[in-house]
Amino acid sequence: MFVHILTNLEQMEEQVGQLSLTEMKEGQLGTIISLLGGRLAAKRLADMGITPGTEVRLIRKALFKGPVQIEVCGSGLVLGRGLASRIMVEPR
Amino acid sequence: MSENKINIVLAGQGNSGKSAIFNFLTGLHQHIGNWAGKTIEKCEGTLFYKDYTIDVTDLPGIYSLTSFSEEEEISREFIIHQKPDCVINVVDSTNLERSLIFTLQLLEFQCPVILALNMFDLSKKKRITIDINKLRNLLGIPVIPTVASRGYGITRIIDKVIEMEGDKPEYRIQGYGKEIESSIDKLALKIRELETPYPDRWIAIKLLEKDPVIMDHIRSKDAGILEEARQLSENLEEIHGHDASLVIADERSHLASRIARETVKLSHRHKTTITDRLDSVATHRIYGYLLMLAILGGMFFSVFGFGNWLSGWLDSIFTNWHGYWKEQFGETIPAALGWAGIESVLALVQIALPYILPFYIILYFLENWGYMSRISFLMDHFMHKMGIHGKGCISFIIGFGCNVPGCLSCRIMESKRERFITAVLVTLVPCSAVSVIVFGLVGKYVGLWWAFGLYLLAALVILAIGKILSRLLIGEPVELIMPMPDYKTPGIKTILKQTWNALKEFVYIAAPVVIVSGVFIQAVNLAGWMPAISSFLKPVTVYWLGLPAVTGILLIFGILRKELILVMLAAYLGTTHFAEVLTPQQMITLAVVSMFYVPCVATISVLWKEYGWKKALLICILEIGFAILLAGLVKRVLDLFW
Repeated sequence: MFVHILTNLEQMEEQVGQLSLTEMKEGQLGTIISLLGGRLAAKRLADMGITPGTEVRLIRKALFKGPVQIEVCGSGLVLGRGLASRIMVEPR
Repeated sequence: MSENKINIVLAGQGNSGKSAIFNFLTGLHQHIGNWAGKTIEKCEGTLFYKDYTIDVTDLPGIYSLTSFSEEEEISREFIIHQKPDCVINVVDSTNLERSLIFTLQLLEFQCPVILALNMFDLSKKKRITIDINKLRNLLGIPVIPTVASRGYGITRIIDKVIEMEGDKPEYRIQGYGKEIESSIDKLALKIRELETPYPDRWIAIKLLEKDPVIMDHIRSKDAGILEEARQLSENLEEIHGHDASLVIADERSHLASRIARETVKLSHRHKTTITDRLDSVATHRIYGYLLMLAILGGMFFSVFGFGNWLSGWLDSIFTNWHGYWKEQFGETIPAALGWAGIESVLALVQIALPYILPFYIILYFLENWGYMSRISFLMDHFMHKMGIHGKGCISFIIGFGCNVPGCLSCRIMESKRERFITAVLVTLVPCSAVSVIVFGLVGKYVGLWWAFGLYLLAALVILAIGKILSRLLIGEPVELIMPMPDYKTPGIKTILKQTWNALKEFVYIAAPVVIVSGVFIQAVNLAGWMPAISSFLKPVTVYWLGLPAVTGILLIFGILRKELILVMLAAYLGTTHFAEVLTPQQMITLAVVSMFYVPCVATISVLWKEYGWKKALLICILEIGFAILLAGLVKRVLDLFW
């Protein structure tokens, strides 16, 4: 599934309802579907409770290409924009 | 080990109040801060309780015990090798789910763990109910609610430690998924036959996760196990469709949420809290930045105003002291050298009390309140242009007060590369001593806007150097992953304690170097070499920078502390009315050189300590060259327009 998404970005956009964390609206809830990108980053995220299946709420995005603030596991977390853009979410 | 000696280790995530528990236990004060990952070095202390001598170690705030960053590795090595009698896992009970992931990792070490549910009062306030009995049963370890700031529950922990000492508990294994568990079991069985300092189940997990350090460790003993581990991880990857290390991390994270779901009840989940309301301004796309500018601007101006007043007052006192010294000891060479030593100490006092002290108080107020994380959030994008993430901004702000603690605070950055970039950039941030020069010379005699212009120049220089450094130093930039803590009412006692510690650290690091070099430079001066040096420097000072030859001497004294440049300028020129002796261009040029030319000795000593003498020397040489080049160019540009 990883390789599939990485090689077929256009197709990915067609997959119904999948967004990256940065594309979500402020206040929107969603479930994490997959984490793209490096193993280390994914592991670091997993240690913070961000894994596929986890519910997140996008709290706010910073100006320009700044970080996003999310709520996960009942508390606030800030993620750099690059990292957040590789977290795929199915919004509710 | 003697019968009544117990080793315990405190481990927990940043911001869990672990340091507060440590302080309470040992009376040894150290940093407690409201931004994650603050305590970096380990701290040790001893507690005498009942008949026991208990050695307590406080480990860095950590998010994961895998070799992601150095601090985490240090902690892991520590727990594995020191084999503490008990690990006290301090968690923020308002944030149990995220903390439990770490708890599960600790349990993989198969050492006795006690869970301290800290900030229990806050969780009650937030209407979070935690079923402690159930949590105890699910985890299979003692669970004790605590409020570290008031010392509540801490003696219960120690009693429990002593109780467990007499009656070692059995390790309960936390069940991950079926395929994972069977893979772990298969590997663990083989590992049991090897001689290793690590627990077998933990090695098995690490091998499945393909941890490079542990793989090397096992390779030297039995390479066959590695092969089997590789096959088992491939199996897992086939079943789950992604990397084995992630399979296990996910499993841990899910187990943590399952435990949290069964034990934690939240009422009024999405009620708007004070934090939400404050954040709607503090992290707003426009108001957030305005508020930040207002807060930081207010901080600098109030500190600077207060500092100038107090510094002037201290100055008048210390000048009298110099008079007494001369009366007592005459003007012999030893007397002058002695005074140089005393003067260095007084100089430190004059920078520490008027500027650094109030600066720290405000800084720690903001930090304990939780505002620093908001600044990191707002500035992350901007900081990325310099190859570092938002947390680096905190070091910059501290650097404005004094570069010494600024450079020390770079420890909050995760990777060596980021830490080094941040430290170099901090040395370019105009500290309060530089501000004295900029405002006292340029601001007073050329115009306030020119002074602000110099700050803008500093910002551009930092940006440019940051860009260059992030290109030159190879390595992936680390992205920001930072918890956003709730705002908390800062305790005055905590703030004062932190300020005291920071001041102490500043004095310890700065004092020896400042005193020694103060005496040394005075000796050179008394030997009558200064005129020779200043004429030696003439090509640079006079011909390239267009300054009076005497500035060569000033710039050498300025290495001690930069505002000496201004103080000695007055002494050499025989007037404090600089406009009579210097042209505006000369003042601006001198200010530019002073801003960038070399970190002061105290900062150099920190760079030395943190990055080794080679890098410290390299930074100094490059910055001297850069400052002279830049100031010369500035002079030429000014000459065109003036």
